Amino acid sequence: MHKRKEDKYFEEILERNKHKIYRICNIYAIPPIEPQDLFQEVVYQIWKSLDSFKSNSSIDTWVYKISLNVCLRSKMKLDKNYSKTDRFESIHFTPIEKEIDTSVQEKLKYLKECISTLNETDTSLIVLYLDDLSYKEIEVITGLTENHIAVKMKRIRKKLFECITPKIN
Amino acid sequence: MLEQELKDIWNNSSQSGQISIETKQLTEELSTKIKSIQKKIRSRAIKEISASIIGILIFGYLLFEIPFPVTKVACGLAIAWFVFVIVKFRKSNLQNTKTDFSLTIAEQLNNQKTMMLQQSNLLDSALYWYAIPPFIMNFIFILGLENPIDYNWTNSVAESLLPLTFNFKIGTLIGLALFYAFTYWINKRALNKDVKPTLESIEKMQQQIKNE
Repeated sequence: MHKRKEDKYFEEILERNKHKIYRICNIYAIPPIEPQDLFQEVVYQIWKSLDSFKSNSSIDTWVYKISLNVCLRSKMKLDKNYSKTDRFESIHFTPIEKEIDTSVQEKLKYLKECISTLNETDTSLIVLYLDDLSYKEIEVITGLTENHIAVKMKRIRKKLFECITPKIN
Repeated sequence: MLEQELKDIWNNSSQSGQISIETKQLTEELSTKIKSIQKKIRSRAIKEISASIIGILIFGYLLFEIPFPVTKVACGLAIAWFVFVIVKFRKSNLQNTKTDFSLTIAEQLNNQKTMMLQQSNLLDSALYWYAIPPFIMNFIFILGLENPIDYNWTNSVAESLLPLTFNFKIGTLIGLALFYAFTYWINKRALNKDVKPTLESIEKMQQQIKNE
């Protein structure tokens, strides 16, 4: 692929997926690693691996694979080279000034708290589920069978609802 | 109802912040990063190989220069060991740089486990390939050092140092034994402090993924 065309493609992928990548990074980042560090690493791995992408799944599903693999590697402490001084200047994270409904913020806080009680692999499944992915797509990302995912999701959802319901009500 | 509400909360969480990316600058930064990583990998490989090549050159020279037969054998063994170390490091580096992020989570965990097991074996067996062989070579080398006059060897440095006294040989060998014991301890420490906990966390995740 021509370089300019490739850059354009990369830009489109990032633009379409940046928020979902950040949501995943936000769940997995544990101080001193910040979501921005993981986000940057995901962007780097997407760029590095884009040539090897095989179109037997959608590019957006592939982005999920990269994001979760980067985040899980950081959990396993396999990558120790995150440093604030190495942050890209081309990526800016700016909080939105407008007032956000406090009840929504609170609910989001409870949701994150409850997700943090799950183990690493259950967390992967729940973030994919909350992003409205089908079991088929989750199968492509995780390597588990649809049936296995269905059984696991039933248990994970129950655990999540039991945790969040008393907090929200 | 709650299920959809949770999905809405999750998807709306992105609204609390804005991510802006200047793509042109980003591709430049990404290119710089990949070049810098490749440079670091190359420089690490060069350092590892240079140390062994320097060793090969030194022992090659000694093999040619020193007339004592036992010491010559030690020099030959040392050269063979340095070549072995180069091959071992190169093989290990090649295996460790192959991380494919586009694999499924289950495959990625399997891959990581294989890599960590290789790393673990390398460190765990360091005593047998990284400490004992060079110690034996040094042992043979020092024990084989005789009196240059007996071999009509005229070398001003050798004449000023040799023959070594028995006590000096023993002292040097004890020092070397301590040095290789320390090397072994460093490898064991890396194994217990870094590799084993990572391996355990990979196995824990694999178990989590298998469980229903």
